[in-house]
Amino acid sequence: MLKEYFKVAIKSLRARRLRSWLTILGVVIGVFLIVSLMSLSEGIKTAIMQQLKMMGKDLIMIFPGEITDMATMMGGGLELTENDMGAIKKAEGVETIVPLNYKAEAIRHEGRVKTILINGVSWKDGMDILKNDFGWSLKEGDWPAIGKKEIIVGSAVPTDVFPGMMVGDEAVINGRKFIVSGILKSLGNKQDDSTVTVDLDIFKDITGEKRGAKFVLARVKNGYEVDEVVENIKRNLLETRKRVRGLDSPSFSVLSSEKVMDIVGSILGMIQIAIFGFASIAIVVGGVGIMNTMYTSVRERTKEIGIMKAIGAKNSAINTIFLIESGFFGLFGGLGGMVLGLGLAKAVEFAVKTTGGLYLQASITPQLIIFSLGFSFLVGCISGFLPARQASKLKPVDALRYE
Amino acid sequence: MPETVIKLENVWKIYQLGKIDLPVLSGVSLEVKLGSFVTIMGPSGSGKSTLMYLIGLLDVPTKGKVYLDGKDVSNFSENMLAKIRGQKIGFVFQQFNLLPNLTALENVMMPMIFQGMPENERQERAKKLLASFDMEKRSHHKPNELSGGEQQRVAIARSLANDPEIIVADEPTGNLDSGTGKIIMDALTKLHKEQKKTIIVVTHDPTIADYSENIVHIRDGQIIKNHFQEAKVLW
Repeated sequence: MLKEYFKVAIKSLRARRLRSWLTILGVVIGVFLIVSLMSLSEGIKTAIMQQLKMMGKDLIMIFPGEITDMATMMGGGLELTENDMGAIKKAEGVETIVPLNYKAEAIRHEGRVKTILINGVSWKDGMDILKNDFGWSLKEGDWPAIGKKEIIVGSAVPTDVFPGMMVGDEAVINGRKFIVSGILKSLGNKQDDSTVTVDLDIFKDITGEKRGAKFVLARVKNGYEVDEVVENIKRNLLETRKRVRGLDSPSFSVLSSEKVMDIVGSILGMIQIAIFGFASIAIVVGGVGIMNTMYTSVRERTKEIGIMKAIGAKNSAINTIFLIESGFFGLFGGLGGMVLGLGLAKAVEFAVKTTGGLYLQASITPQLIIFSLGFSFLVGCISGFLPARQASKLKPVDALRYE
Repeated sequence: MPETVIKLENVWKIYQLGKIDLPVLSGVSLEVKLGSFVTIMGPSGSGKSTLMYLIGLLDVPTKGKVYLDGKDVSNFSENMLAKIRGQKIGFVFQQFNLLPNLTALENVMMPMIFQGMPENERQERAKKLLASFDMEKRSHHKPNELSGGEQQRVAIARSLANDPEIIVADEPTGNLDSGTGKIIMDALTKLHKEQKKTIIVVTHDPTIADYSENIVHIRDGQIIKNHFQEAKVLW
């Protein structure tokens, strides 16, 4: 029976081809937005979280500025001073600290000059953390020897920045000659892969930034709770700042690696919710389109409804036929939107992979597919509910007399 | 004495136009015997169409009772009426009223779908019905590809889909030329004669009335004359 009603419904959709396609298009756009944006944003989230996950749980990050004030923290040029670093080092439970600094400098290689970011890390203290917690490993060459004028370059440097650069090549930074001792494997994103890293002492020498650091990593001693050590560092820093500069506000952030993941995860989650919200509105608009089409259809087919009732159609039969039509709009629109959305997500993934940036993998999960199809079908049925009801409640005599 | 298949007892149909009550039928009583051929005649506005809708269970009276096979159906729900209509009454309309998106064959199968008949059975029956009206060659055409006479023959085939007791025809020749109209009337007459169907025809055309033995004249919502005659058209 349902099969027959389905045939009748499809026939009447085909009789109004243009209008049916336009109605479906309305749904396609909404589902297209949801599928493409959700799969891409989930992919971005996964890529970022994967990078963060490599960090050891016993690492604590100390940034200048407050985490709630992102702009100042990232771009405000704030630094942690030597005094701050001393305070961190002295905090109970801290095993080692690794100050990190970075600055953009012009580098010359075989006659070409490019400005790229130079990281300064203390090889002595930081090498292990970079290898074990940040996943640094060499593709070619060796780690630089402490005290020698050697640099390691990110994986994108010999391919994109200085094409043809090889281990053993000479590079000049601020008039000083360095030897490329090693090339790193990819770190997961293009920005990090396009940097050069030198020992902190050499960094201070070539940049002239002798004091301070942009960012300090502290490793927790065995047997200490990470959260406890975070508090110790905070207390020490606050006391030092009060003593030295008379500052009373904690304009620094001390975060365990887990906390960083939490924060980043929740920010990305919020962005996803916002994206989802906007895209859902597009589907609802598609649903309004379905409702509009269905009401028009009920009016146009009033006489047909009357005929069907005259030859024995119950209210439920009419209701079913119209619901099938609107559900079909939703489901078919959902299918189309999904195909286009997945296509776009894959295209963006491909474009990002070839041009650089994050190493993004569009996340296409069965949940996303089932959800988008289910949601669009549901919107179709809900949009058709009232029109179908109106159709089924028509009195046969009134419907037959309708011209 | 043949049994009564449809009986109307002091039936009123009153439409409300704003605050004014407009009686379209005022106390109509009528009996239709099983296997009879009845014509309801009257000028336009006389209430004959409304009477037809009540007899066909497409509408319910404001007052009075409608009996079908001795059962009072005037208070039945629309769903119950739909079921009875589907099983016991076949309709033929002036405008043919075929579903425009379906082929002739599909149109004839529609009433059987609503009764839940299996596909192979209804297809076979629909083909047979179309063949009995010489329409088998046109069975895969849609209504807009058929002439008026062809459409009306499909409509008659459809009215017989569930083998109903009663055929209600509302001005069945109204949109046809006289030659085609005769073919249609002959078809209805044949059903009456050979299959003993109860035929109720609504018309304003006296030549159509001549096909039947029982003519009911209606004017201003009341039956003014109900008489029997020898059917003048020989069949």
